[in-house]
Amino acid sequence: MSSTIQDPERYRARVAALQSALDAGDCAAFHRAFEALSEQMDAGLLPELRRLTATAQSALARFSAEARLDKLAGHEVPDARKRLTHVVKLTDEAAHKTMDLVDSCGPIVDEAARGAALLLESWDSFRDRHAAVANLWPERAATFLERTRADSEVLRGNLTQLLMAQGYQDITGQIIRSVISLVDELEQVLGKLVRIAEGGEVTNVMRSLPDQPSWERGLGPQVAGLESPDAVSGQDDIDALLSAMAAGK
Amino acid sequence: MSTVKFLVVDDFSTMRRIVKNLLQELGYNDITEADDGNTALPLLQAGSFDVLITDWNMPGMPGIDLLKAVRADAKLAKLPVLMLTAEAKREQIVEAVQAGASGYVIKPFTAVTLKEKLDKMLAGRAAA
Repeated sequence: MSSTIQDPERYRARVAALQSALDAGDCAAFHRAFEALSEQMDAGLLPELRRLTATAQSALARFSAEARLDKLAGHEVPDARKRLTHVVKLTDEAAHKTMDLVDSCGPIVDEAARGAALLLESWDSFRDRHAAVANLWPERAATFLERTRADSEVLRGNLTQLLMAQGYQDITGQIIRSVISLVDELEQVLGKLVRIAEGGEVTNVMRSLPDQPSWERGLGPQVAGLESPDAVSGQDDIDALLSAMAAGK
Repeated sequence: MSTVKFLVVDDFSTMRRIVKNLLQELGYNDITEADDGNTALPLLQAGSFDVLITDWNMPGMPGIDLLKAVRADAKLAKLPVLMLTAEAKREQIVEAVQAGASGYVIKPFTAVTLKEKLDKMLAGRAAA
């Protein structure tokens, strides 16, 4: 506000009018003169004030948008990718750990089943040859061995199911990987927006982005609520489709 | 039976391990692994594999391209190829069959389904 006074002659006239009204003790005239002076001052100030406010506002908006974009592009989006990659790594480790345990349980179960079968076999032949002595071995022992043999089969089946259940890691991994590639794209777009915001060259933001996922490259697993209308409902559906194709040949 | 030579192709090591364990339970012990089509194809061309089990969605060369490359290779044209994948669009399944897939198993799958499809493929192979 240190600039020179605009239109000093008009101010001089207003001040003179104000002075004479004051000298004359004319209250109404004094007020009129005062209003006029005040209006003139406002008229000179307002456009300047408006311009300053607008500049400050846009600078602020630009600054906060740039700061937010910078943070998103520089940290939050790359962090999101690292987090997702970490989830895939954790599930991979957990699945392998589970399968290590399944692998180590397999021979134990097999050995128990084999041992029980062998004992039962010798028990049968021994009982036939030495009926009197055989009665010393409680029936409960034989029942236990029978039970062990049968349980081992159930355990074997459960171990296989436990192994199959680790397939979740592949399914979730594929889904997370498709989200990671989405995050990659987002990062590229944000990077370009930041350069534009910094006054860089305005380029087509969407150009040079990777192609959209195509079914030729693979779309990944179906996700509940986002199923493709063209997706099969399961193995039976596929088998029916394959049979129909074979019949149509 | 145990002399059947398998190549299992999947980019997830957990899935390769699951398939390998299942094959071993079924009595197949000659199993090689690869993590995408690019690493699988030279192995197929160099080795005498009897069955290829491949995923579809893999970085590098996807399974459908591997299948097409196998069928385009005179030496491998008759190799039984089982697609083992989460890809579920009808047009994909049709494409795989038209490209020469011998079977298509959708993930998640059961041990019974895998055995059933393998038996069918290997019976077809014995008859051929």
